[in-house]
Formats: sequence, C-alpha cells, structure tokens
Amino acid sequence: MEPRGQETRRDGTHLLVRAGEYACALPLEAVRRVVRALTVHPLPGALGELEGLAEFGGEPLPVLNLARLVKAPTGANPAYPVTVVVWVGSGGAREMVGLAADAALEVVHVPSDSVVSGDGGLLAGEAPVAGEVVRVLNLEALGREA
Amino acid sequence: MPPQPPRGLLLLRRAGGIWGIDSSAVDGLAARGDGYRISVRGGALAADEILGVAEDLSVRPPAPWLRRFWPEAPVGLTVHGRLPVVVVDPHRPPAALRLDEGERSDEGRD
Repeated sequence: MEPRGQETRRDGTHLLVRAGEYACALPLEAVRRVVRALTVHPLPGALGELEGLAEFGGEPLPVLNLARLVKAPTGANPAYPVTVVVWVGSGGAREMVGLAADAALEVVHVPSDSVVSGDGGLLAGEAPVAGEVVRVLNLEALGREA
Repeated sequence: MPPQPPRGLLLLRRAGGIWGIDSSAVDGLAARGDGYRISVRGGALAADEILGVAEDLSVRPPAPWLRRFWPEAPVGLTVHGRLPVVVVDPHRPPAALRLDEGERSDEGRD
C-alpha cells in the first residue's frame, strides 16, 4: 500500500497542454499518449469542436479541438501540431479520444484544494501553476451523454 | 436495439470522409459526373470515389457523447487499413451522402 501522501500527489498530477491562449491541465492518468498531429478525416455537419475521425492503433479515434472545447482565444499559430490521446468517460464506458492541441508543455502537480470555479462539467476549475492560471479539465465529464 | 453492423461494406469517399454501407443493400452503381451514384432500395447516394468492398471489419458503435458534436446517427465506426470509416445505414444516410435535392434520381442509369 502506498503512503497517503504519494496517493494524493499522483491524483493531482496533470499534463499541461497549450490550447490557443489557454494552458489546460489534463489528469495524467487519463493521458494515453502524445503524438504528432494525426491525419483527421472530417465529419460533415459536425460542430466546430469535433475535428473529425482519425486512426490510432488500428482503432477509429474521434478528434476534438481542445481550444474550441474550452473556448480559448486562438493563439498566434493555430496549427494544432500535436494530438493528445486521452481516455474520457469512466468505468466500462471509457473511450479513447484525441485532443488536437498546440503543445504538450510539462507534467505538473495541481493540488485539488487549489482548484476553484469549475462549471461542473469539462472545466473542473482554474488553478495557479507557475504564475499562470491554468484550466483544470475533468475528462470523465467529456464522456457523458449529451 | 441498434442495427447490427453489416458483414460486407462498400467503402466510399465523400466530402473528405470515408464511409461504409452494407454492400448487400446496394442495387446499382453508376458513374455520375466526377463521382458515382449508388442505388439503394428507396433512394440513391452520392460518392466521390469508390474504394472497394471490405468484409468482416470490426465495427464498434459510436460513443453516445459523439452526438453532442455530430447530429448524425451512424451504425458504427471502424478502420480499414489506416483509414477511419464511418459505417452508416444506407436507408438513413447522413446529409453528406444524399444526392443533392433536385437532382434526377435516375441520372446515370443505363
């Protein structure tokens, strides 16, 4: 059994990702891989948040635009050169999703008691990290039905 | 109960995406302008390119959350080679596969 302190630290470990002008913290346990931008095939009629469908590991992978998802102002270079492959949802309903982003920055620790003002959905809240306010995301919420 | 994925899929390219329809539902295929017209019972679909027929692909239902971002209701998703494929019901195709309104339904028939 791990000491309580280590469990707490692991729970608060996040991957910091740049999406437009926002920095977003993704729970590290939900991150499967960061890869160069996957080739995405559009889904006509989809909302702007859904870039389309890609292939990853022999499986179809819906790819969402992280900046649009968190309503971030577009950055100077909106090319979204990386795809962060994450798990969304929970339990048996867990699904892989790609998040098109500007960059994967670093792994950081975000203490849960530093997170404030969430929307009860994808945005778990905001927290200060190294002098910048980052959006802490709840990826389980992304997998919920509409 | 969701429809069962078909065994054989006619794969086609349309509007930048790759689509699969039950090959047993296809009544005819004809060149039409730069693309193709696919006849199915009770209607016709449009394709930019026909990629072939694939059998026994592993089709999984789309995640329910996908509907939040895409109003269409595909049968499932799969991969052929390195290409992601959206499997659709040919009798309830997404708007992108339907022939444009006003086009003759018998156009391209010999």
